[in-house]
Amino acid sequence: MSADKLIDVRNLNVTFKGEEGPVYAVSDVSFDLAAGETLALLGESGCGKSVTMKSLMRLHPAHKTRIEGQINIDGVDLLSMRPAALSAMRGKTVSMVFQEPMLAFDPVYTVGDQIIESVMRHEGFSRVDARKRALEMLERVRIPSAAKRLDAYPHEMSGGMRQRAMIALALACKPKILLADEPTTALDATVQIQVLLLLKELQRELGMSMIFVTHDVGVAIEVADRTAVMYAGRIIEEGPVDDVLSNPWHPYTQGLLGATVHPGMDRKQALPAIPGSPPQLTRQITECAFAARCSYRTDECMKPMPAAYQAQTRAVRCIHALAEV
Amino acid sequence: MTALLRVQDLKKYFPVGKDLLGRPTQVVQAVDGVSFSVEKGRTLGIVGESGCGKSTTARLLMHLIEPDEGRISIRGKEFGNISGRHPVAELRRQMQMVFQDSYASLNPRLTIEDSIAFGPQIHGVSEREARQQARDLLEKVGLNPNVFVRRYPHELSGGQRQRVNIARALAIKPEIVLLDEAVSALDKSVQAQVLNLLSDLKKEFGLTYLFISHDLNVVQYISDDVMVMYLGQVVESGPVEQLYQNPAHPYTRALLSSVPSQTPHERKQHKVLEGDPPNPIAPPSGCRFHPRCEHARAICSSQQPETTRVEGLHQAACFMLPANPNHEKYIQLQEVSA
Repeated sequence: MSADKLIDVRNLNVTFKGEEGPVYAVSDVSFDLAAGETLALLGESGCGKSVTMKSLMRLHPAHKTRIEGQINIDGVDLLSMRPAALSAMRGKTVSMVFQEPMLAFDPVYTVGDQIIESVMRHEGFSRVDARKRALEMLERVRIPSAAKRLDAYPHEMSGGMRQRAMIALALACKPKILLADEPTTALDATVQIQVLLLLKELQRELGMSMIFVTHDVGVAIEVADRTAVMYAGRIIEEGPVDDVLSNPWHPYTQGLLGATVHPGMDRKQALPAIPGSPPQLTRQITECAFAARCSYRTDECMKPMPAAYQAQTRAVRCIHALAEV
Repeated sequence: MTALLRVQDLKKYFPVGKDLLGRPTQVVQAVDGVSFSVEKGRTLGIVGESGCGKSTTARLLMHLIEPDEGRISIRGKEFGNISGRHPVAELRRQMQMVFQDSYASLNPRLTIEDSIAFGPQIHGVSEREARQQARDLLEKVGLNPNVFVRRYPHELSGGQRQRVNIARALAIKPEIVLLDEAVSALDKSVQAQVLNLLSDLKKEFGLTYLFISHDLNVVQYISDDVMVMYLGQVVESGPVEQLYQNPAHPYTRALLSSVPSQTPHERKQHKVLEGDPPNPIAPPSGCRFHPRCEHARAICSSQQPETTRVEGLHQAACFMLPANPNHEKYIQLQEVSA
């Protein structure tokens, strides 16, 4: 592990204790994040991208979750952290924005109060100073008439404005790392692009690192430097976003990009859909989880999956992609 | 060529809040004077952001909610709950709808077969025939009837459930299918399967679609004609290629340029619109888009722009269009200082 890595995850496994047996939500996931870098975790529903993200803040209920592997954040071993240290870290070193700001805010406190509370707790500011910081943050995320909005309740804001307010809350203590879990998915197109560009700009200004969870290839292209594509709980391909998305190696990445409707497609042609659907994660899958839907499948694919093949800046987990590279 | 479906001046205002006497204090102008027509065998895409009235329009067409004003006719026959118009039940035999939430739109206590066979029985088909039809339709939408007939909605994946909803919509043998965000909740790999299915069914049954979506890429792929809505009104409409390649209304241009690029090497310079879509309770005066429009001039806030021809069937409601009757006035007036 090199010292300049802000996040270093090795062989992460997350298993939930379900009523009908365990669910293997994340299997053998490894990745890292450098200072100032943005990584997009790209994948479809149930692929484990949000579960991976929440593990980085240890937000899963402890009694229902088994987390194995190594997570180092800013040089500290996350999995051995005590509750007090954990609360000090959340919001200060690592902060998070969610898809649904209405659920992330407490509806009975004003937006200002919630930002002030966080700043007072983490930065040790007085109430007056914390209020100044809160106002500065609301202005920074370009909420119109910010001074007035400071005393507004979450329900008094529009969806786009609430999302900006949540970003203000997340960034109020100048975290080193921002985790963004589909923060623009629920927004309208014209508002989504405003928020994406705003996040990019703030990232540059504050020198943060970002992990961005998304199912939208376009969003990954807009915000990320690198992307890790997830399928059935594993990272199956990883590398610079331009390389991976313009020349995908893994058959799933190829299939996903092919199936995504984009401008300039021939409207007379059927879409190259991926047949079938992702597997249930109620069984520990050791072979390639995509094999059942893959047109390159051979008997070899049903044997335990090899470790990721690394080639310079990229990595892929597919024996057939290996042959091509 | 005569239109299969014609909609004229459709309006729906929802009351919001009540005073002491139970009178509404405000109204939401959810759909405000929407007119369009669709020819047989074509797909009309309806796009716009949340609150623009696209889903309300679909519900009004089906009479799931009663329109305040306007005419809906199929093949020249006018339908509605007003004397002198043809009954709504007959309208619903010719037009069916598929919703976004595939789970909420199926009765959890009915098997897949019961759900599909329910509609035809209401419309007078015998039970045996309806059940046979349900099996045939399941086959058509790519679900093996032997496996699926006895299953319940919760046992199916999202993509499978949406196939069932499509089969159910087709069970009545409608000519027109309204697809309200029908593929929006599906993952991309499954979405592609369902889009292909929709294309195949359209060819096989000679269907006409109204495809409502916020996904501009999908609308471009599937539609022949497109209609763009903003705050309850149609701001632009026309054949898909013309509208996408040469958008005439500033809102359409902003909407199209806000779509994230799908290929890394074509990352766009985005022209970003400021602000959120305004509240439809108190829509802006004049052109409803003027507070967010960089080209707005005095006339835009005082007068509603007429729908004007751009080229052929492509039309838009904007004073900037040379063919607009008030274009001269627009040119003469000063820019409004921001």
